[in-house]
Amino acid sequence: MEFTNTTKVFTCIQCGKCTGGCPESGRTPLNVRLIVRKNQFGAQVKNSHLWYCTSCGTCTVRCPRDVKPSEVIFDMRSTLVESGDISTSIQKALENTFLQKNPWGRARSKRAEWAEKSGVAIKHISDTLEKRLLLSCCVHAYDPRCHVIPVNISKLLTYSGIEFGILGEEECCCGNEIRRIGEKGLFEELREENISNFNRYDVREILTLSPHCMNTLKKEYNLPKLKVYHYTQLLWDMIREGVVKIGKDYKKRVAYHDPCFLGKQNGIFEEPRYILKSIEGLELLEFSRSRENSLCCEGGGGRMFYEVEVQYERNAKIRVEEAYELGVQTIVVSCPFCLMTLEEQAVEKGIEVKDISEILVEVLE
Amino acid sequence: MSYGLIVADVRKGTFDERNLDLIGFCNILEVDAYILLPKGDYDVDLSYFKRVIRLNMEEADFLNPLNIGAIVEKTIEKFGRPSIIIFSSSSSGMEMASYLAGYFNVPIITDINGLSKEEKVFFKSCYSEKVYAHLRLKNEGFSVLTIRSGSFKQHANKKCEVTETEEMDPPTLSEKRSFLGYVEEEKQEIDITKANFLISIGRGVGKKEEIAGYEELATLLKATLSASRPVIDKQWLPKERQVGTSGKTVKPKVYLAMGISGAFQHIAGMKDSECIIAVNKDPEAPIFQYAHYGIIGDMHKVRDKLKELLKGL
Amino acid sequence: MNIVVFTKRVAAAQEEELKIVRDGEDLDISKLPFKVNDWDNYAVEEAVKTVEKFGGQVTAISLGDKESDEVLRRSIAMGAKEGLLIRKDDPIFDPAVRANVAFNFIKKHNIVFDAIFTGVQAEDDQFGVFGGYLAALLKIPFASMVIGIDEWKTDHVVVKRELEGGMSERVRIGIPCVLSIQTGINEPRYVSIMGIRKASQVERKVFDGSEYMENIRSSIELLRWSYPPKKEGAKLLSADIDSACRELLEILKEKGVYQ
Repeated sequence: MEFTNTTKVFTCIQCGKCTGGCPESGRTPLNVRLIVRKNQFGAQVKNSHLWYCTSCGTCTVRCPRDVKPSEVIFDMRSTLVESGDISTSIQKALENTFLQKNPWGRARSKRAEWAEKSGVAIKHISDTLEKRLLLSCCVHAYDPRCHVIPVNISKLLTYSGIEFGILGEEECCCGNEIRRIGEKGLFEELREENISNFNRYDVREILTLSPHCMNTLKKEYNLPKLKVYHYTQLLWDMIREGVVKIGKDYKKRVAYHDPCFLGKQNGIFEEPRYILKSIEGLELLEFSRSRENSLCCEGGGGRMFYEVEVQYERNAKIRVEEAYELGVQTIVVSCPFCLMTLEEQAVEKGIEVKDISEILVEVLE
Repeated sequence: MSYGLIVADVRKGTFDERNLDLIGFCNILEVDAYILLPKGDYDVDLSYFKRVIRLNMEEADFLNPLNIGAIVEKTIEKFGRPSIIIFSSSSSGMEMASYLAGYFNVPIITDINGLSKEEKVFFKSCYSEKVYAHLRLKNEGFSVLTIRSGSFKQHANKKCEVTETEEMDPPTLSEKRSFLGYVEEEKQEIDITKANFLISIGRGVGKKEEIAGYEELATLLKATLSASRPVIDKQWLPKERQVGTSGKTVKPKVYLAMGISGAFQHIAGMKDSECIIAVNKDPEAPIFQYAHYGIIGDMHKVRDKLKELLKGL
Repeated sequence: MNIVVFTKRVAAAQEEELKIVRDGEDLDISKLPFKVNDWDNYAVEEAVKTVEKFGGQVTAISLGDKESDEVLRRSIAMGAKEGLLIRKDDPIFDPAVRANVAFNFIKKHNIVFDAIFTGVQAEDDQFGVFGGYLAALLKIPFASMVIGIDEWKTDHVVVKRELEGGMSERVRIGIPCVLSIQTGINEPRYVSIMGIRKASQVERKVFDGSEYMENIRSSIELLRWSYPPKKEGAKLLSADIDSACRELLEILKEKGVYQ
């Protein structure tokens, strides 16, 4: 496929910082610097190479010239999307999202099924006073393993007397992944639907459970009046202010895995660590690659729906192996994508992977 | 007395078992069963029928939907009007039935799988088996019906004391469609999305060395081997064999999941299979929530026992 | 070459629990999302692929309410030249009536075609009748369960039909004809939202469906809806491996995947 170039590629000095930090480069055919170079010339790029990108954002964060190489890749993907030149699994995810507003095509009416498991009364946003919206990701909504996250957060909020509401079956995919897959038109539609929901119910702040949703709502929605934040931020506030009290210890060796969309792309590194450090008995270890350098779990940017051509050792496996070496008993995450990818590998090593809310619920008074 | 005209479901000289459902259907409705059969030496118990009409024509012409209208016209001329004309819901049955109904511009109900005799109401599935529609025919004349296989065969239990067999010459055959031949099974690359029967293995397989045993089982059962992501990740099977959101979405007739716990991403790729059979050590494995049948046990033991039984057969 | 494709907008029910309301009289599909009938999607793709190869144009026709315009836009985005809506706001359940309306429409507007493509069946009513019925009314040849078009000549086509048990047959059929297209014949292309927006600029003609209904009456009365017998969770086979395996083989035989 031939691609037209995007505006900023000409400022690229081919320094290679992008490729240097890319979690896929070297092991897969993805070479970000080369793609940008070829894009400058409008030269041929092998379509499949574009789909290795996990949209972790490392290249864009590191770029000294603000070329935003990951955005160049998304633009090129959108050329493929427009011409229909995409794999059937990606196509299915897009069609599903168009139809049911989630990439698995599960019934929209079952979007809030998790709420039944929470054991607390959960209100629709329209029935609340403070208009604080708890927004779950499609993964939380449909993966039974991840139901526990909105369930835990709802419980914590309810017991602490913090009012919140949900959209229920009106909730709709945020489009973060869709935009990164390159389906710009669909992203616009999802954004429009979400914004109209926010307006209709006079939403004032949005508590996101996935860093992916938070990222796009903050940066790609243009919602200047809305406060958008991640649940680890709220949880830390609650602990710091004594709204919730930790009453039990957690005697385990724990490592925190920074999600790309929370950490390097949005600078939230401390709150999850503060939470963990405030738990008695918990020994917090660090991965050799953490914070800005955190190794991407490879769940994002459409990779959840696309099996790449080349088989290679998964980052999640590398991550789990390091945890094993470190003697880590629990890997803690704060992103449903990371939970899915890491847990798949960790089972075999006998290491547990937990969302930070799962630990918190265990140690509360 | 009016009769039910069965258009026989035949193929390559075989009288299909699906015909029993058509006979059973006539028996429930208490109408005499007449059957239309082409030339050929079919293995069929003719005593099920009040009348057997042997058409002096080849099977392929008999199965050509463009001929069925004239055949039925001729039948009516000779034996009077039937109350219903019935086909099985097979590929050719459906093709002929819809064309025949249009030929006479009469009502048609397809894929009937139940009925309420008193009300003369037929049931058919809609929205892929989510609901049944209860339908009643209001017309005066005859109607065309197709019957789902397996629905009424237990009622094919009545034999007629006298079966009349008549020969009938076919009408002028249509030249607008002709049968060219059956397509030989082409050796194709393995495409798990097209397989009827998948044996899918998961993490429980444990070691690479175990894979060969499952390949052997698949060969014995004429099934296709597929896998969940952990097996593919370890490169024990090529990625074309991966079932799941990031692999392929499959809908085989039978999906035999062995050692697959049922991660969400995997379930999304196979949950629409017609029949799911799960083998897993862990009775709590999520896969059992989606399965129609389950065996709680060691997958390797099940594999070896199946192989033993199959080889012993 | 002109190919007419009939395409239907249907409720996407696969993931949903369908609600039967008013004592079985109605099916509440108001909350379901709607989409193009899966089989028709393959039919449109096959029509577009065919004219891309042999020249000519594709006309998409939909019989349904005004929202059915959506599937016409989609067809145009896939490559159809024009879209015609036979607008009928109350759904028509009876396939014989649908076929008669389509027949009257084709006759009245003298629509010229070499072939009409339809999907084998619709996801909602699952009748699988429309194509064959329409062909017979038009007195033109018909083939259903088409999973391959091998040859396209000026006066005939050779198609492959799917049969039972992994078998298929090849038939030669004169033009003009009606072909009912089976899923799997191709891989329908992705239609992007931008593509649909562009297609919206092509005018779709709307016709009043009631004008083609004269003297057509349905002879099928839809009395009520019911749920099929409830599927219970996984039926566990014997705990003893030997008996469990024997039972398993029986199930495989019953399902027709192993003899």
